[in-house]
Amino acid sequence: MAFQILLNFGVAFVWMFIVQNFSGQGFIVGYVLGLILLIGMRRFFRSRLYIHRVWAAIKLTWLFIGELIKANIAVLKVVLKPQLDMQPAFFAYPTDLKEDWEIVLLSSLITLTPGTVVIHVSDDAKTLYIHAIDCTDVEGEIDGIRTSFERAIKEVSRA
Amino acid sequence: MKTNDVILQFTAKIVFFIIFLFSIHIFMAGHYTPGGGFVGGLLTASAIVLLILAFDLKTVQTGFNINYRLLVATGLLLAVGTASFPMFVGEPFFTHFYDYFELPFFGNTSLHTAMLFDAGVYLVVVGVTLTIIQSIGEDE
Repeated sequence: MAFQILLNFGVAFVWMFIVQNFSGQGFIVGYVLGLILLIGMRRFFRSRLYIHRVWAAIKLTWLFIGELIKANIAVLKVVLKPQLDMQPAFFAYPTDLKEDWEIVLLSSLITLTPGTVVIHVSDDAKTLYIHAIDCTDVEGEIDGIRTSFERAIKEVSRA
Repeated sequence: MKTNDVILQFTAKIVFFIIFLFSIHIFMAGHYTPGGGFVGGLLTASAIVLLILAFDLKTVQTGFNINYRLLVATGLLLAVGTASFPMFVGEPFFTHFYDYFELPFFGNTSLHTAMLFDAGVYLVVVGVTLTIIQSIGEDE
């Protein structure tokens, strides 16, 4: 992935030197040309084209924005309810993400969606301890995180 | 029992770069917009302090193995040198010079000796802040 981006930059710089256009415009034209070449040469790379991962990252951003709006409305309902019948809960969320940045990203996404806060990452980094403001169905909550955020993060980090 | 600070450490590693770049920007912007040597130095020091908080003193010292007392001395020398240089060419103490230069790559740039004085202030602030924090932190 990093190698492909570096190659793309290299092609863009070569293009800038060929046409003697050292502006942002020349760079962008060269970059797009390099991207087309990379797509043509994709069977020579060991890993996926990096465009797939960029697209996955964009999809993850959209997913996060959607979840943020939904969770905010849910918390608003809890706050504005006349009866105080919410069920706060702590639960352990077993994660199978390996890399540091994946765990930090998942924790940040969980914390930034209102209603759930990551309290602690276990020492072997296999479990996240999460506090939920209104959680009657722990299994459903765990499943929801696994099928939304964790799957999207795995999609980004897949080689 | 070592707790797992993965979130704090990873975030500190990334945010360090952002704070450091911003501190350089603030230092450079001091002539026409708010900023300058003092604020820039404090921001640089705070970036390093963030690393010290997330990891520990020894880890950061292996990376930034700088003698901060020497940094203070260098900054003071730079400031005094910039201030006393005009006396050798028959101008009063602390006279600043500036001119416009055609630099390669940067184009027409105005260079001012106040920048050098500011760099001295910057080095002194970074050195003093980190000397204080290190001497308190190493106290057992």
